[in-house]
Amino acid sequence: MSLVIALDIGGTFTDLVAFDLATGAVHQAKSSTTPYDLAVGIRETLDKSGLAIGTADTFIHGSTVAINTAIERTGARTALLTTQGMRDVYQIGRGNRPEAYNFHFKRPEPYVPRHLTFELKERLNASGNVIVPLDVDNARAVAQQLRELDVEAVAVCLIHAWANPAHEQAAGECISQEAPQFYRSLSHEILREYREYERTSTTVLNAYVGPRVARYLDDLERLLVAGGFKGQFLIMQSNGGSMSPATAKKIPVATMESGPVGGIIAAAEATRDLGLRNAIAFDMGGTTAKVSLVQDNEPDIAQGYFIGGAARGHPVMYPVVDIVEVGAGGGSIAWIDEVGALKVGPRSTGGHPGPVCYSQGGKEPTVTDANVALGRLGATRFLGGEMPLDVAGAREAIRAKIAEPLGLTIEAAALGIIRIAIAEMSLAVRSVSIARGYDPRDFALVAFGGAGPLHAAEIARELHIPTVIVPRLPGHFSAFGMLLADLRHDYVRTYYKPLADCDFDTMTSIFEAMVQEGADLLASEGMRPEQMRFERFLDMRYVGQEFPIQTRIDANDLKARDRALLRAAFDRIHDRRFGHQAVDEPVEVVNLRLTAFGRRRRSQFPKLGETKSAVTQTTAERRNIVLSNADIPISCAIHDREHLHGGQEIAGPAVITEYASTTLLFGDDRLNVATSGELIIRVGEGP
Amino acid sequence: MSNSTQKLDPVTLEVLRNALPAIAADMAVDLQRTSYNMMIYEVQDYCCALLDADGQLIAQNIGGVSHFVADLGVVIRDAVTRYGRTGFKPGDVIITNHQRVAGQHLNNVCIFTPFFFDGALQSFAIVRAHWVDIGGMSTGFSAATLVNDPWMEGLQLDQIKIYEAGIPDEKVLRLIRDNIRFPDASMGDLRSQMAACKLAERRLEELFSRYGLKTIHAAIARIFDETERKCRRVVRDIPDGTYEAESFLDPDGPDKSMTVPIRVKVIVSGDDMTIDLTACSAQRKSALNSRTLAGAYIAYKGITGPLDGVNEGSFRALKVEIQEGNIMMAAFPAAMAGWSRVLPTVIDTILKALAPALPDFVPAAHQGTLGGSMTFFGTYPDFGTDPGRGRNFVLQTIEGGGWGGRPNADGESACVSVCQGDVRNSPVETIELKTPVIVDKRSLRNGSGGPGKYRGGLGIETQMTNLMEGRWSLSNAGRRICTPWGIAGGRNGGGSRNFMRGPGEAEFTAMDPVRTLAAPDSSVMVSTGGGGGWGDPLERDPARVRHDVLEEYVAAEAARADYGVVIDAKTMVVDEVATQALRARMRAERGGNHV
Repeated sequence: MSLVIALDIGGTFTDLVAFDLATGAVHQAKSSTTPYDLAVGIRETLDKSGLAIGTADTFIHGSTVAINTAIERTGARTALLTTQGMRDVYQIGRGNRPEAYNFHFKRPEPYVPRHLTFELKERLNASGNVIVPLDVDNARAVAQQLRELDVEAVAVCLIHAWANPAHEQAAGECISQEAPQFYRSLSHEILREYREYERTSTTVLNAYVGPRVARYLDDLERLLVAGGFKGQFLIMQSNGGSMSPATAKKIPVATMESGPVGGIIAAAEATRDLGLRNAIAFDMGGTTAKVSLVQDNEPDIAQGYFIGGAARGHPVMYPVVDIVEVGAGGGSIAWIDEVGALKVGPRSTGGHPGPVCYSQGGKEPTVTDANVALGRLGATRFLGGEMPLDVAGAREAIRAKIAEPLGLTIEAAALGIIRIAIAEMSLAVRSVSIARGYDPRDFALVAFGGAGPLHAAEIARELHIPTVIVPRLPGHFSAFGMLLADLRHDYVRTYYKPLADCDFDTMTSIFEAMVQEGADLLASEGMRPEQMRFERFLDMRYVGQEFPIQTRIDANDLKARDRALLRAAFDRIHDRRFGHQAVDEPVEVVNLRLTAFGRRRRSQFPKLGETKSAVTQTTAERRNIVLSNADIPISCAIHDREHLHGGQEIAGPAVITEYASTTLLFGDDRLNVATSGELIIRVGEGP
Repeated sequence: MSNSTQKLDPVTLEVLRNALPAIAADMAVDLQRTSYNMMIYEVQDYCCALLDADGQLIAQNIGGVSHFVADLGVVIRDAVTRYGRTGFKPGDVIITNHQRVAGQHLNNVCIFTPFFFDGALQSFAIVRAHWVDIGGMSTGFSAATLVNDPWMEGLQLDQIKIYEAGIPDEKVLRLIRDNIRFPDASMGDLRSQMAACKLAERRLEELFSRYGLKTIHAAIARIFDETERKCRRVVRDIPDGTYEAESFLDPDGPDKSMTVPIRVKVIVSGDDMTIDLTACSAQRKSALNSRTLAGAYIAYKGITGPLDGVNEGSFRALKVEIQEGNIMMAAFPAAMAGWSRVLPTVIDTILKALAPALPDFVPAAHQGTLGGSMTFFGTYPDFGTDPGRGRNFVLQTIEGGGWGGRPNADGESACVSVCQGDVRNSPVETIELKTPVIVDKRSLRNGSGGPGKYRGGLGIETQMTNLMEGRWSLSNAGRRICTPWGIAGGRNGGGSRNFMRGPGEAEFTAMDPVRTLAAPDSSVMVSTGGGGGWGDPLERDPARVRHDVLEEYVAAEAARADYGVVIDAKTMVVDEVATQALRARMRAERGGNHV
């Protein structure tokens, strides 16, 4: 009973990775996602894997149910209760139009119509003091009214509930008594941070997706129990942690962006295992490339994001792994615009029809076709040879659509397509590193996703990143990362005061209350105290600024009551991020944040067999590949990753192939196979 | 165009096309996140740009306030004239807001630095940002109606080097600091502006080192050409002709019959467009003046490539006719404190002129003003235990209004004006956390959207009460008589109003407080305009009218009177038969006056 199963439902595939903690055996299975009834695909994948669910002691699940419900607008009929005078806060939003010159801009369409929005008679001020007491009879009457309106979910967001949740709690009581069948979301239970529109939007989304997510998880629990499963069931969150289904049903909004985080968690763990602390996770798939910064083996977290894009999306103020995504994937289409400029993406062929070389009817040349045309992707090796690639078709598409119009050779056009994609991905890597004050030379680039390892060395060279790491199972990395996700819960309390006036006892007791809340929840999810860890942060800023910076502190920092220490930490971070600091200016605290972790048992891969000699060139196969010069293909050795040994060194130029990915080394790159299985590439080491 | 004929590798070109705007965008992110005043971090009243030594715009950030579009060339050209091409050194920082050239209110302060490569001046990085105070008679927006010359408005800074070769001029900096009301905020913003310029210098250095001077110059020239060609392709599809429209702003002087005329002529010929503003009002004795082409530029940009970046090529195919002494080409020392107020109306009027040529594109008029800006400020002698205790306070927020109906959709409600893109209102909880004010209400203004087949968006009503003494200013942006017009048979939206109520008074009085001292428990309310309607309201789908009534955007009586739709008050069902009869009768009553 030491099997851990991770099941990741993506748009195209349902992916399973399982790890046997006792034997170190890894199992994988993939089948098509079945959007009409996800359970069908799940059952199929489980069957395909041949694993008996009853023997698993942990089952971790990442799903797109919450995000799809929001985007497809298939959630519950939801009502919203607000403070008097604030009925339209949710409709008005912030009044902005991010597309400044677009006369035909569209606002986000609210999930709750105005006629299902009701004002409660109550008011608090910013200190949390009552100005107008909650009229309980009125609240009851509203709840009764909702019963007649055929509502399934209710969101409650009252002004200054972040400072004092009493009115929201009392209103929640009224709803529970009058209409216990409603799915109920109170804003302070999700976040206690000021800014009413963003908090309302988050609470409404939570209520809107809640009933459907709850039903889905109920179904899944039943399916697991029917299969004899008796272990721990965990759900992935957007913040890179996991949680129990009970918590997920209460805060489904926390699972909204959990899709891409698995790989980033795995990247953080891979660097930890290799004794490195800082990495840039680089995930390149079919339609996009995603980049995220990992510091001290923790992915960077953003405190909010938009569902449906910044221009017309809905804000969600909930921690999410901070991912920069660009429209450059293997399937990104190369095209020439109306004035003759060569462009790559953001349009993508996706899985269907896919690149021209897949021979599934694709007509537009893509990044993958460019790689095939240059020989970087082998025609006979794709997906372990299951899918032969049409080299001639790829070359012809590039010739007709790109090379001829631009007066280039096919190779020069293909190289150009890849260079443009590389430049765009480099800008993304830059935006999480240099633009935030970090020198990429201090980081390793961890490359995964089907197309990541193929392009990583070039991106690294572009930005002077010295090391590229290709982890194990790069093509299944997202599900793999779920195996490693600790339990995690984030808490925030707005505490707005000049640092000079902060009361350390008050701050300590707020943190203690959050620790207690986190510990209770983790305990309910089966964590023992020794598995728990708590991290504290202060959101600070110079007085007059709006955007605070999250500054990590130690519980002892508060005990020491050392204001100078806290501000010095903030000054330092501000200087690193923005290139200037103001040591003479007053600093204020805005929020206290706490993250509660529940550490899970790790999966440990068995080590690779060591080789006797340090350098073994297995040059069974060679292929001509265009690297830097379009006119001169270079003969490169082709290695099979399965046959590599720990400690083995390979000099570029070379190609390493495996089932779902390909790694490319340039002439001056050097590869070392770690005994733990990762490929460590020293970029530009020279011969 | 000579450079652009040089052979340039298409890949490098594409890489630079993305890399240059990325620098301007990164400047903007850093500025916003470190700034000290809500005009920058919330309102995003700033722009960041790279210009070459001839003042040609290489790249500008997109976002925030659109009336800054491509308006920095004159500032750079003036500086180069002043100091000479050899008059700059690495480490120089120049400050300017002088209306002689900059042509906007003095709060908009430009900070720029020269960038050198191979020992030669290549370009400038510049940040123009709205400081919360610049001295003078008032803080915030409230100077507009009070001042009649630039000296009353505040400090005039005319191309002054505050750093020379990296060494700060402490005297000048102290002079500035001592003559503005919120020096910590403005000096903080200055620091952020300089840091953004420095960031740009570092990034330019990397790009120039990597690609070399020749390639970069060739790429920039090519990018300008291609941008111009893109714009021309759009204009080519507009039927040739001369299109005219007019509108006006409320009287700005003692004579209440004297409105401010806005008359525009748009001439389309092939792929050339000329926007002729010469018939707009002459410069005013009031402070509505400016020196800017932004009105014409924003309209042209919205037509030719609203989602594309901005560079020198964006406006090369546009000719703007405007003469010295025009309200938007006013000569120093005309007062310019209210410089931007004319622009939204100019843009609406240009679009109105083009409506016959672009029937599927042009929306009805929007609120037409810079929105209901609310300012409250004062000092904290003793404000209990609230966090801002002991400090001066200033509250500023911009409440949006309605946008015009469009040929295929209703106008959006409660949005900032055409000149303010990503400008955001101040959250209720932020306002109450930072200032001694309670927000009583922030709501959509029912019934304010102009009727039409596609209805105009709704304005806003926002009401606040001050808990301690302070001064209120609510802007009157001057579109009360000429309310947001309908198009293609649509009707006008509701105009804007401001109100104030003293402590203990039962009713609000319509008025426009300007630095008006308010005793504790006074209340103010802005009521912003709704957008005009598009198309005949009798053609509006009755189901949409019913929805509007259900949502209370439109009253049941108005559904009948304006849209000819009869809805059963109890069941909320449209009475199809009665509706058809009513609409037929309304059409008949129009008789020959069919719209």
